[in-house]
Amino acid sequence: MNPKRSTLGWFWQSVTGLALLLLLGVHFVAHHFIAAGGLRDFNQVMAYLSNPIIIALELGFLVSVTIHALLGVRSILFDLGLDARWEKNVTWALTALGALTLAYGVWLLYTILQTGSALAMWTR
Amino acid sequence: MNLSLPENKKIRFLRWFDFRSWRLGMLAYILNRVTAIGLVLYLYIHLAVLSMLTGGPAQWDPFVALARSPMFLALDVLLLAGMLIHGLNGVRVALTGFGIGVRAQKPMFVALMLVGAVLLLAGALKIFME
Repeated sequence: MNPKRSTLGWFWQSVTGLALLLLLGVHFVAHHFIAAGGLRDFNQVMAYLSNPIIIALELGFLVSVTIHALLGVRSILFDLGLDARWEKNVTWALTALGALTLAYGVWLLYTILQTGSALAMWTR
Repeated sequence: MNLSLPENKKIRFLRWFDFRSWRLGMLAYILNRVTAIGLVLYLYIHLAVLSMLTGGPAQWDPFVALARSPMFLALDVLLLAGMLIHGLNGVRVALTGFGIGVRAQKPMFVALMLVGAVLLLAGALKIFME
């Protein structure tokens, strides 16, 4: 294993992990503790997302959790003892999966906001 | 096929499941990996489930009603346990990685897990009291 690369992975794992303490904390408390009934129904979700700061926090959460999760999967796979070529393949595959995950997350957020405002127009 | 192990090997194998013989560092490592795998699986299930929000209240609200049932709330508590174990143990891993408190790893791990246990209890009460 390339020691430089693995050190860098460990560093980003710590940075995103630290960010997640805050971002996941906000996310979980907001969705499971503060929300009336323990989970937000559609209108409550829309009300929550009407705050741009919340959208920024959710996007920050999406980015850090995706990086953290896939770096974690990478180090679990590397612990199986892969040769250099397979380590490279794993890294590429997980990078692609990460890009897809982020694209899906952003698309989802955008579509939810569109759906919400379309419904608000209907009921107005 | 002979499935019976020699007596001493069988004892050694069974000892694997005896947590008293686990080294604390090994326990922390196993907990970190097991919760990591669980949380990654949860992340992708969660992202898939959230696509129901694109169907508006007609699709989302029946799911919310289901997710407020006691069985789902128990899964929420399990999720909280996974997050607390992984997150608090992660604090120790990151600190040690930066060279902080390397010698105090064991008491730090025990203390963080105790904090986690208290937070889990408080969280579980909050989740079920709604």
